[in-house]
Amino acid sequence: MVKKGFLLGIIISIISIGVILIYSTSSVETENTDVRLHGTVSTTMGSSILGSSSAPITIVEFGDYQCHQCYNWFHNTKPSLFQNYVDTGKVNFVFVDLAFLGRDSPKAAQASYCAEDQGKYWEYHTQLYNSQESQIDNGWANSERLKSSAFSLGLDVELFDSCLDSGKYAKRVQYNVAEAKKLGVSGTPTFFIIGPNGQQEKLVGAQPYSVFTKILDSMT
Amino acid sequence: MTHVLRFVFSNYVYVAFASAIFIILLFGLLVLSEYVFLEPYLIGYIAPGMELGFALIVILTALSALVIPMNIYRINVLKKSKRKVTGSVFGSFVGSIAGACSCGPIGFAVFSTFGSVGATGLAFLTNYELPMRIGAIILLSIAYYTTIKSLKIECKIV
Repeated sequence: MVKKGFLLGIIISIISIGVILIYSTSSVETENTDVRLHGTVSTTMGSSILGSSSAPITIVEFGDYQCHQCYNWFHNTKPSLFQNYVDTGKVNFVFVDLAFLGRDSPKAAQASYCAEDQGKYWEYHTQLYNSQESQIDNGWANSERLKSSAFSLGLDVELFDSCLDSGKYAKRVQYNVAEAKKLGVSGTPTFFIIGPNGQQEKLVGAQPYSVFTKILDSMT
Repeated sequence: MTHVLRFVFSNYVYVAFASAIFIILLFGLLVLSEYVFLEPYLIGYIAPGMELGFALIVILTALSALVIPMNIYRINVLKKSKRKVTGSVFGSFVGSIAGACSCGPIGFAVFSTFGSVGATGLAFLTNYELPMRIGAIILLSIAYYTTIKSLKIECKIV
């Protein structure tokens, strides 16, 4: 009788532990599956929204930190675009990694999310595009340099290093690459401009400011 | 030199051939290197810092348009060896692929198809874009010089 009671106790304990585990896992999954969609583009795992969250138009950029055309767009087109559209509340902006150009690209993308943990995603993003060098994988975006960039931005280096070394955001970056593939993105930078009535325009390449204004003005 | 050029290009077939090479190669390279965009609007754009790349593409294309028809002329009219035309086509090819992929309009498509091998190839083409284009221009210049010299001798042009 005692033996039976003991066995029953073990079974109940195992079932309880199982239920607790299933419950805790599903709550984590629920947290990660809050889908953020802009038109047909899922930006769930991308950056936070830059600019007014109520802006009628969203620009989603798929880019790589080692891509020189992304660098060109960042320095030549983006400043005017932000000044006239994002800063005025007409447009908001999301960056999604398409880290494929070299072995340092995924690490750089992960590093940006480690900076996000400390509330400095966009500062780190800017820092990376300011310090890009013309050669891919020549060491400008290796782990050491990424960590020193974090230090120069005043981030908690210990926290940042452990985040980067643990590969905490490796899956997030992989998800974004898969998302780009799903959307038929063929190169970087690629932009999706999503208008207020669901209009969606795809722009491939570091196109000039005039092209963006034409599309944005036609959507408003 | 101008005598040789006039001699070859007095035949309008070679003028048409040179023009076709120039237009197709130039347009293709400008699209791949993101100096010309086809969608959503047809637009040309030279971003600051990309002027040298643009100039090299124009030189490379012009040289290809001169050298390839001259070598075809040597083969067709003078029945000479195909060695020089191979060199000039090779020079044009090397110059064309340099930097044409990388993070341009087809970079990720290449990566998706060929995986890490594709990515390594893309990185190489990007890193050595300018040296490759300059090398191709040197190769084409040598081909141009030797072709002119051979045509002068073979056609007895003074």
